[in-house]
Amino acid sequence: MDSEKENKLRTAQLNFIGEVLSVFTHELNNHLAALKELTGLIEDILRSRKSLPQQELEVCYKTIESIENQIGETSWISKHLCSFGLCMSKPSSNFDVNEAIEELLVLLNRAASQKAISFEKDFHEKIPAAHGNPTGLQFLIFCLIEKGLKKLGKNGIIICKTSFSKSSVSASITLRGDFIITDDTETCADEIFLYLINQMEGDISRSAEDREVTLTFPLSPRASSKT
Amino acid sequence: MKPSKVLIVDDETEFASTLAERLRLRGYDAKAICNAGDIFTIAKNDPPDVILLDLKMPGMSAIEILMTIKGIAPKVKVILLTGHLNLEDKIEGIRINNFTYIMKPVDIKELTEKIDSVLEKNKKE
Repeated sequence: MDSEKENKLRTAQLNFIGEVLSVFTHELNNHLAALKELTGLIEDILRSRKSLPQQELEVCYKTIESIENQIGETSWISKHLCSFGLCMSKPSSNFDVNEAIEELLVLLNRAASQKAISFEKDFHEKIPAAHGNPTGLQFLIFCLIEKGLKKLGKNGIIICKTSFSKSSVSASITLRGDFIITDDTETCADEIFLYLINQMEGDISRSAEDREVTLTFPLSPRASSKT
Repeated sequence: MKPSKVLIVDDETEFASTLAERLRLRGYDAKAICNAGDIFTIAKNDPPDVILLDLKMPGMSAIEILMTIKGIAPKVKVILLTGHLNLEDKIEGIRINNFTYIMKPVDIKELTEKIDSVLEKNKKE
């Protein structure tokens, strides 16, 4: 791979990080906005009353409980971002394929719901741990999901399925629903996409219009350190 | 004097309902809805004075909603709610067309000032 392609790859990866982080911060901000209103409401009530009747006390309790729930939501999303960041920080590690895809779906959920598109998971429960670079897999899945989000119209569904056989693992992305864009303008250029699959010693199979794309990788690639 | 009617449209249920409660405590007749589709029925049958509209509603862009509201209830004032700082340039374009906005998390004092300001402007028109 020449330096120009190398740069393209790096740029695409940075865009990918930026996209995920911006979606994450948007989500985080929404929870913080709710937290601010909830605590503001407590303050409003407490300021307006010198002694609290039982009914308002109940409102306070309910509001405080909601604050705790919101904090829990924030913490849950943060946990996924933390795990996502950790994957990026290591060139190679043992990882759970389902978890790697799951955290990507959590982080992209806002982008999907924005377009009224939903994710469905069909994960094989007993996939053995894989060895390699989970960020590479996440990046490939991200490229396919990003395409799906651009192509699909409202109420579209993106189905993520995982399976395995002997020494390999497969991840399929299926797009269900009407396409609003048929022009297949690439954000993740095919060249880079295929280069990365090759680096991970994987294969790709595609159906018509890329309605279903399946990526297959060895659980322990011989040259995993390359990725 | 009848309280001013404020409709909050935001898919974040907790945020919208709590903000409505806080506005009611401040004397507004505030109501929250989480589905952008409901806004048009309300705007037609029981138009509010002001709509607080989340810029990023699922399945429909704020511009689409704004244009439809303008067609149904031209006198209704709209304040956009947004959490995205980097969208400010785009929002600026909308603001020029007589739409104002407020950043999330919301400062309640700033919000009530903006609501009162657009209501005042409405009276003068």
